[in-house]
Amino acid sequence: MGDGAGYAGRVPLTRRLLVLPALLVLVYAAVLGAPAAAQADDARVVRVGTEGVYPPFSYRDPDTNELTGFDIEVIKAIGEEAGWDLRFVEAPFDSLFPALDSKRIDVIANQVTITGERKARYLFSTPYTYSHGVIVTAKDTDDITSLADLKGRTTAQTASSNWAQVAKDAGAKVQYVQDFGPGVQLVEQGRVDAIVNDNIAVLDYLATSGNDQVKIAGDAGDEVLEQALAFRKSDPELQQEADAAIKALTDDGTLAKISDQYFGADVTVQGGSKDVDVKATDSRTTWQVVKDTAWPMFKGLVKGNIPLTIFSFVIGMVLAVAAALARLSSIRVLDWIARIYISIIRGTPMLVQLFIVFYGLPSIGLDLDPYPAAIAALSLNVGGYAAEVVRASILSVPRGQYEAATVIGMDYGQSMRRIILPQAARIAVPPLGNTLLSLIKDSALASLVLVPELFREAQVTAAATTEYLPLYTMAALYFWVVCYLVSLAQGPLERRLSRYAT
Amino acid sequence: MTDATPLIQVEGLHKSFGDHEVLTGVDFTADGGSVTALLGPSGSGKTTILRSLNVLETPDAGVVRISDATIDFATPPDRRAVKALRSKSGMVFQSHHLFPHKTVLGNLVEGPVQVQKRPVDEATAEARVLLEQVGLAGREDSYPSQLSGGQQQRVGIARALALKPEVLLLDEPTSALDPELVGEVLAVIRDLAAESWTLVIVTHEVRFARDVADQVLFLDNGVVAERGGTEVLTDPQEDRTQRFLARMLDAG
Repeated sequence: MGDGAGYAGRVPLTRRLLVLPALLVLVYAAVLGAPAAAQADDARVVRVGTEGVYPPFSYRDPDTNELTGFDIEVIKAIGEEAGWDLRFVEAPFDSLFPALDSKRIDVIANQVTITGERKARYLFSTPYTYSHGVIVTAKDTDDITSLADLKGRTTAQTASSNWAQVAKDAGAKVQYVQDFGPGVQLVEQGRVDAIVNDNIAVLDYLATSGNDQVKIAGDAGDEVLEQALAFRKSDPELQQEADAAIKALTDDGTLAKISDQYFGADVTVQGGSKDVDVKATDSRTTWQVVKDTAWPMFKGLVKGNIPLTIFSFVIGMVLAVAAALARLSSIRVLDWIARIYISIIRGTPMLVQLFIVFYGLPSIGLDLDPYPAAIAALSLNVGGYAAEVVRASILSVPRGQYEAATVIGMDYGQSMRRIILPQAARIAVPPLGNTLLSLIKDSALASLVLVPELFREAQVTAAATTEYLPLYTMAALYFWVVCYLVSLAQGPLERRLSRYAT
Repeated sequence: MTDATPLIQVEGLHKSFGDHEVLTGVDFTADGGSVTALLGPSGSGKTTILRSLNVLETPDAGVVRISDATIDFATPPDRRAVKALRSKSGMVFQSHHLFPHKTVLGNLVEGPVQVQKRPVDEATAEARVLLEQVGLAGREDSYPSQLSGGQQQRVGIARALALKPEVLLLDEPTSALDPELVGEVLAVIRDLAAESWTLVIVTHEVRFARDVADQVLFLDNGVVAERGGTEVLTDPQEDRTQRFLARMLDAG
């Protein structure tokens, strides 16, 4: 080290910065792109949006981790009948309609109830479930037995579900939750008074969880609700093919058979939902559930959070350096563009940025897949936050260093690359370490734009098993371990960058 | 040892910082191989003159020529002209401004390799010779922070020489040093003068200037108040030069 040849032979910083993302893209493509490219035949590819956390309709089989449930088996039967090549996309219920609008999925199979409002915007197949709503309250609540009693009370609902509307129409205040399970927790904890939901979903929950702290307090009106597949208005062919398939499957008894398997009754015909008898979807011990979920969560970490973090951090750093240099530039326009960028990123929630990139931009023709969209949003976010760190670090390099670089004949780019940025890096590492740790944790938000990741796996299993505390604690533990390892690496890096300062 | 045409030629140099006029028309020439000492009270503009020679400051008006590179500051200079003029000189700063993240050898080869695109082996070999010359053989792999102030400044001189400039500009090279370290740096500069390097040096070391300078410029209030050989320092004609020297020699 210190020998002239070795010294000058090192690859310049910028070239290294450019090579790294390129390499990462290749690795990423190899790891994640392969399965999608593997199967290709003539069947029409239909992407099915579903929650995966709504047993017994749409959930992961606790034993095999395969997506299953009543809606899943129904859409599979329909797909087979209609000759579709199905691709399942799992996302929270509130993300399903935006995903349908932005053409990220082609159909929703998730107990979507037909309402007037939805009918105006979407196409619906023939109903494949007839259900009625029930009101869930805590065990010792005795003053709620009908919709009328909900007036002035608080219920927990998913934002875009029709049950939220039913509760509102009854005069209840609605607190929004991501799915049914967390809602039940709120009822149990006394934070809300009730939930209005589908009787089958509620029965399933009660059977699986063995939870005796909540009860079905009464029917939510006597209205029968119809659930069907939802399509875009622009896809009438899919709807027609689905209807033909549903008719055939009804006629040959397939739908009745699937329903019987899940509910001991035929909910695919009117009135069927009254006789539903639900078996527990899961009966494992807590420890068994935690053990079984550890591996899928680890895979989510390795295939989701870690690549997202690495890509976003590398791209974000490039953005940050560019924005910092623009802020320091004597060209006013560049300075202002960078100021606006930084201000927007720091002044808006990460979640909102993510939704704008993924669900908003497609409407102006910028249609990114889940991974690239998540990476774009996270990179922009990191870039905005790190830009000020980088700028402050550059400013902390003494002016004499610029002059020394100038008088040995360096131009702006050379002096930045070889003299200023390497010194700024040393100062920037500790605060950028914080940025990286935040990014690792923010990567959990990617599940909201349909990227499978660690926390999503925890949610999926938690929904099917109601083991919320152990599973979410384990998710926290995973994140903590990763962050701890990263912070361990920070020390040696700081020492390396500071080796000249004694 | 002097050529027919001077190596450095400065005419009508003007420079203001805001409302304050630092240089109000400076003219001088310096021959190749000569040592020019710039003296004067602080704020007299001597450092600004030095920094105008490599355009670290851009004069408002005037002409600077070093060898075959000329800039007339009547119009804003273009980048290529600035680069050409800069390539004629090397600079030694008051507080050395060595690159702290590079080794001693790294500091020396940075300019030759990155800017002049010379082969690494050649630049390294030359750098080793220069380090020997300034008495720092064996410290190639040290980082600047591991050296004393005098050693750092000697590396600073070697770094400037590594570019093989026609002129070496030294901006108060000993002012930031502890008194006991001044001697080793002055000795190196003395050697350079003896080897016929062309030096322009801003200094407060009157005795040293008297010993090595061929030409002395006494600056006051942005103009050259007195110019000549070392007799400017031994037998000053101007009042203000006399007063300044009396003060400096008292203090020294």
